[in-house]
Amino acid sequence: MTATQAPGKSVGAPISRVEGHLKVRGAATYAYEHRLDEPAYLHPLQSTIANGRVAKIDASRAEAEPGVVAVLTHENAPKLEAVGDAELEILQNGEVGFRGQFIGAVIADTFEAARYAAGLVEIEYEERETDADFRPDRDDLYTPEQLNAGFEPDTSVGDVDGALASAAVKFDATYTTPREHNNPMEPHSSIAVWDEGELTLYESTQGVYWTQNTIAPLFGLDAEKVHVISPHVGGGFGSKGLPHANVVLAALAAMLVEGRPVKFALTRHMMFSVAGYRTPTIQRIRLGADAEGKLSAICNDVVEQTSKIKEFAEQTGTSARMMYDSSNIQTTHLLAALDVAVPSWLRAPGEAPGMFALESAMDEMAIECDLDPVEFRIMNEPEKDLESGLPFSSRGLVACLREGAERFGWDGRNPTPRSERDGRWLVGTGVASSVYPVFSMGGNAATIRADSDGKYVVEIGAADIGTGTWTTLGQIAADELGVSFEDVEMKIGDTKFPNASGAGGSSGITSWGSTLVEAARSLREKIEAEHGGNIPDEGVEASAKMPKNPHRKEYAMYAFGAHFVEARVDEDTGEVRVPRMTSVFAAGRIINAKTARSQFMGGMVMGLSAALHEESVLDTRFGHVVNHDFAEYHIPTNADVGELDISWIEEDDPYVNPMGSKGIGEIGIVGSAAAVANAVYHATGTRVRELPITPDKLIS
Amino acid sequence: MIPLKFDYEVAESAQHAVELLGQHGDEAKLLAGGHSLLPIMKLRLAAPTVLIDIGRLNDLNYVREDGDKLAIGAMTRHTDVEHSDLVKSECGILAYTAGLVGDPQVRHRGTIGGSLAHGDAASDLPGVFLALDAEFKITGSGGDRTIAAADFFEDYLMTALAPDEILTEVRVPKLNGAGWSYRKFNRRAQDWAVVGVGAILERSNGSISSARIGFTNMASVPVRASATEQALSGASVDSIAEAAESAADGTSPSSDIAASSEFRQHLARVLTKRALDEALSR
Amino acid sequence: MKLECKVNGENREADGVREGESLLYILRERLDLPGSKNACEQGECGSCSVYMDGMLVCSCLVLAGQAEGREIVTVEGLADENELHPVQKSFIEAGAVQCGFCTPGLIVATHDLLERNAKPSDVEIREALAGNLCRCTGYEKILDAVKLAAAKNGNGA
Repeated sequence: MTATQAPGKSVGAPISRVEGHLKVRGAATYAYEHRLDEPAYLHPLQSTIANGRVAKIDASRAEAEPGVVAVLTHENAPKLEAVGDAELEILQNGEVGFRGQFIGAVIADTFEAARYAAGLVEIEYEERETDADFRPDRDDLYTPEQLNAGFEPDTSVGDVDGALASAAVKFDATYTTPREHNNPMEPHSSIAVWDEGELTLYESTQGVYWTQNTIAPLFGLDAEKVHVISPHVGGGFGSKGLPHANVVLAALAAMLVEGRPVKFALTRHMMFSVAGYRTPTIQRIRLGADAEGKLSAICNDVVEQTSKIKEFAEQTGTSARMMYDSSNIQTTHLLAALDVAVPSWLRAPGEAPGMFALESAMDEMAIECDLDPVEFRIMNEPEKDLESGLPFSSRGLVACLREGAERFGWDGRNPTPRSERDGRWLVGTGVASSVYPVFSMGGNAATIRADSDGKYVVEIGAADIGTGTWTTLGQIAADELGVSFEDVEMKIGDTKFPNASGAGGSSGITSWGSTLVEAARSLREKIEAEHGGNIPDEGVEASAKMPKNPHRKEYAMYAFGAHFVEARVDEDTGEVRVPRMTSVFAAGRIINAKTARSQFMGGMVMGLSAALHEESVLDTRFGHVVNHDFAEYHIPTNADVGELDISWIEEDDPYVNPMGSKGIGEIGIVGSAAAVANAVYHATGTRVRELPITPDKLIS
Repeated sequence: MIPLKFDYEVAESAQHAVELLGQHGDEAKLLAGGHSLLPIMKLRLAAPTVLIDIGRLNDLNYVREDGDKLAIGAMTRHTDVEHSDLVKSECGILAYTAGLVGDPQVRHRGTIGGSLAHGDAASDLPGVFLALDAEFKITGSGGDRTIAAADFFEDYLMTALAPDEILTEVRVPKLNGAGWSYRKFNRRAQDWAVVGVGAILERSNGSISSARIGFTNMASVPVRASATEQALSGASVDSIAEAAESAADGTSPSSDIAASSEFRQHLARVLTKRALDEALSR
Repeated sequence: MKLECKVNGENREADGVREGESLLYILRERLDLPGSKNACEQGECGSCSVYMDGMLVCSCLVLAGQAEGREIVTVEGLADENELHPVQKSFIEAGAVQCGFCTPGLIVATHDLLERNAKPSDVEIREALAGNLCRCTGYEKILDAVKLAAAKNGNGA
């Protein structure tokens, strides 16, 4: 039930999501479902080679097919502006940089005609050798100029080599994580329509303005000439963050049929080549400690992969820079640029693979030091952020570890592997820490209008990708306006509302919420100053931009968490079950207890999925993902998940933003795969350093 | 995703289906529940030009007693087999295994005949029918013929069905108290079996009079664990563990992203032992 | 070909249907019923689950011809705007809805489960819903929603 919230008391309450009644009736409008007159349908042509060029393309048979309106190829494609993004600048020449890349499209009156005619287009290639083999011993690995989110690729504090040489306990192991695909349930979809030089995009996107700001320059347009509409999004997990080439293809196609909407939804298969994915990583972790278990050296040397046509450098090693106390810390990142699709964001890029390696290594090191893994982490708790030198605005890791241990029943755990069994099941428990930065993104503004009947309309071009934004922003606005939640109507997901950053980096609530608080304060002041405290009959509105947070330069800001996992491993088959998982988070003030719980939980299970299931298998000869559907790319079903116990500690952080909240979309996934791996080790005595933990790896 | 163009015909009877097959020859495919065929047609891995829908042949949806056997119409859905009291009481392994095929949505559409005629050794039922020494009734232009399960599966997705023949009925023996088990190993619920083992044990006076063991996904066709079966024939119940060690002898299962050949063989041995133990206790 | 079937209690027809079209496609593109979602088209994810002659099926794997003359009920047919079905209410209350794309299929599948089994156990729920993939929730809240709906049904709500 959506209980009526007293004025000023909405934040924190477990309010049911306001758009839920639409979603449960199938009445929420997703991108492909906007009802427009006389749509045309697009079916893409995708390269069947990984490297080379289209030598010849003959569309005559396709064009002659009934219902076909146009065939788009590099020979007739409208020119795009050179913006330096080869993923997006499609069809400007015949070059092919990865298998599955868009090389054209058929536009037709019906979906079937487009799909059928696409098969009639004859394409000849000049193929070059495919180089898609990701290995750490390649001689062409290079250091990128910067990592995703602007992080330095290489950092060094103190003298790691010296510290390792003199450490009483030394540890050195290499971990690998596989290529993973985001796979939101809703395939990426667009409806594009041009009208008098302006483009309207009905999109499934994590940010309408991110889409606008990326697409407009490609078409040489001022940003406001691109309208993006995206009220409901069927998940994104990073893959709908920045637009991919499918949006450009739809917009190019729509230019050929000006005035007519062009509909294009990726198939599940296509999502494995054009919608981004997580790079595979190879991480060498070295740790040094003194005889008591105090860390003296932490080192993560990362090798990962990008596409030759566009660089994406995941910030895999960054969590090693700040997680634990040590005078000597070093991280490096090397990239292999291959003839493969372009990697991108997948929920917690950097932290998710990086913390698998670091938290597995911490477990191994605790064993080397003969320490309980919870206590080992606690005794290596830093006093400040070692990377920036700043104090933490709040750091709840120790509280999470203690609380989690209590809830899980960690105390009294026998540290010896294979010490517990239940019939054929070997039973073990494991722990891992979690962390995620409190990001804030620029470019936000909001408008709030008060009507004389006491109702408020709040407008901001924010996104709800399943996260709960429709609801949580209403809660924040209601409290700051001092009114009840029911009196606030949110308007988001459209560039007709004020500028906003997107749902990414768990930054949404910090960025949008801070902006709403500012706008609400402005409105209240205005009502007070100009209208004597009463809303005038004609209503009144105020706008505000996101204020600068002065504390950003004073504090390092992170959310933390701890995962505890019980794993049961069938001794003979290697089958792994995770019957229960306890996670505790320190993520500032929780805006909505119900939607927050769901966000944490979803992240944890995605981490469990990474631990046990997910792996996109690349055929290195041809550069494509072999298991490109839900039959072979495994994500858990209901029957694969056990009991999840989630809680959070009360954390009062006055520095992160006016709400005191920290982003929670990604922290759930961070560390959870390591907790599973650590529990599997405790159950079996077998340390699996290569995800996913498939049964064969547990049977010698 | 839609398949390539095809013509769609509805068969009014099994005989009509045979006639339509005769008219269209190799280009035609029978459509039952469609849950094996339609996905591969959408991927353009199969492109029949005519689909003959036999899914409305309700007279082929039945389970009935036939002496010491059960006769099951080919268009009986997995869910009907799973929930049939007759199958549950007389041939429990079949009801149980039918309940493990895919997920509820799949079992509501998929049919016994469709699953067998598709001839995929990775699906759960073929190996169990093989272990049951089932008989398949086939209707063609020349009339009916009956073929043993062992002779039905010829190669990957290839069966003994001629282009103008249709599988109309399967017959399985009543188990009459024989112990049974089907053990399926998959990495995730609702998935195909990495390996599956169906076992039927007949006992007399504390020893095993016969063991029949059929494998899922251990070859391009469903196969029997012959060495283990022989080792157990007339043997003591104490010899199960040892006999199961030879379960994978003579097999050469494929390696794929779900498992290596060696791991499949390992699983076959483990699951055979578990299936036999369970069958013994049933 | 021409397709005639009953959808959500109404006789509906579609002309010019291509043989290869799925029931899902027809519902979404021809009958203006986009509630059933298209997420894999291979019968793996359950997002397109509907009733056909009272049986829960993946509409992406039902060909047009197979739907001829059948009775179809989609998520849109389970309740009207003014009064949600207890299953729908429960999904909202339990927090089992996030991005919402798997939700319609899960609503229909849960409706089906509770029709057949008024008080399912946790194991029965998890098995019955194993054909419906969700990427957001981690499933725990879905389990809660089903139990809540079962309780509501039991109370005659």
